[in-house]
Amino acid sequence: MSHHKEDVEVIKRIKNKEKDALYLLYDKYSGALFGIILRICRNQTLAEDLLQETFIKIWENIQGYDNDKGRFYTWAYRIAKNTTLNALRKSDMLIQTEDLGVVKDKGTTTTEVDLDKLNGAINTLEPHHQEALSLVYFRGYTHREANEAMGVPLGTFKSYVRQALQLLRESYKSELLLIWWLFVTMV
Amino acid sequence: MRNKKDIVEEGLLEKYLLDELTAEEVEKVELALAHDPVLKEKFQLLEADFEKMAFENAIAPPVAVKSKLITRLERSRVKTLSPNWLWIAASLAALFLLSTLWMFTNWQSTKNELNSLKNQSVVLQERLEELEENYALTNNRLQIINSPATIPFVLKGNEKAPDSRAVAFVNHTNKLVVVNPRGLPSLPKHQTYQMWSDVEGEMINMGLLPTDKDLVTLKYIDHAESLNITIEPAGGNDHPTVEQLISAVTL
Repeated sequence: MSHHKEDVEVIKRIKNKEKDALYLLYDKYSGALFGIILRICRNQTLAEDLLQETFIKIWENIQGYDNDKGRFYTWAYRIAKNTTLNALRKSDMLIQTEDLGVVKDKGTTTTEVDLDKLNGAINTLEPHHQEALSLVYFRGYTHREANEAMGVPLGTFKSYVRQALQLLRESYKSELLLIWWLFVTMV
Repeated sequence: MRNKKDIVEEGLLEKYLLDELTAEEVEKVELALAHDPVLKEKFQLLEADFEKMAFENAIAPPVAVKSKLITRLERSRVKTLSPNWLWIAASLAALFLLSTLWMFTNWQSTKNELNSLKNQSVVLQERLEELEENYALTNNRLQIINSPATIPFVLKGNEKAPDSRAVAFVNHTNKLVVVNPRGLPSLPKHQTYQMWSDVEGEMINMGLLPTDKDLVTLKYIDHAESLNITIEPAGGNDHPTVEQLISAVTL
């Protein structure tokens, strides 16, 4: 889990133009953000450039981040996603047509990681819940694009996402309970 | 709270997190979040879940990416110095412009001066040529007058012009006659002095004597026995008007 309060201190230092503080956040969040960028663009070299670009934008726009409005990671995630989608639009790799399913196979994968296989709690969900969450969160699809890609009505898709998030929530809650139980029994 | 119910049921929190909302919707959601702690908590849990999911699916980027990022950011520090360099460059450019302007102005005024000097030099050249010409003429006449072969004759006025006086220089060797008519009284515009040579009783025209000149070169007539001056109509006459003879000298 992220340590939201620790981030607040580090971000204050970044706002004071301390580069070392940015490198701390890089160490903490670059993996999570790279996972998103790479899954959207499906190109290792491009993803590396875009990760760098994302942190440059974080550095340049940090004054615009307001921790009252949300976590740093949420803010950085949006930057990473938008940076990647814009780069893809520019290089014409993402064609904004009705048939967005085609896009799935268009990118080139040069990474050894299986980008379609997700880990952790999401992996325990039903395939349609997994796919719904994966499309909007890991692939950069909008709800509208994603429901078309899955071939289900928008309303149905929305309930898939809501159910998936509910199940995810329960999964993480029981995980916490398990840790708490282990902790209690060990003591 | 109707607004809150809408936001939850429409899935606006998820969309807000994923940055899929319009600016108007964002404003609506942020306002609701700021005023509703329960909604805020719901959003915070959503953020935490999404973040956790992202961490479970993190992919470590190559170490080179961080090095490149550091290099780029350190370089940008150098870049922040660049305004100074820009100022220096701009100052140099301005200085260059000013000096060019100054040099151009100087060049222009030098050009003008040169032009006026050229003009002056042309005028001087013309005057010099004129003077040389005058000098040559004067020198030539002086040589004639000073030559031992030249004989001066004074032509005194007769009773018709008692105050008139002219000097004729005759050189038989070079066959030249030069007359100084300055001593002749000036005539009305329709009249002129004319000089004649008497050869065996016949008067032969030697030329006109304008009174405004110092020396007048006239025709030399062979075997002339005397020199005579008459007053004739302006432009001269073919034959002398004997009644208007004002001076004569025997050679």
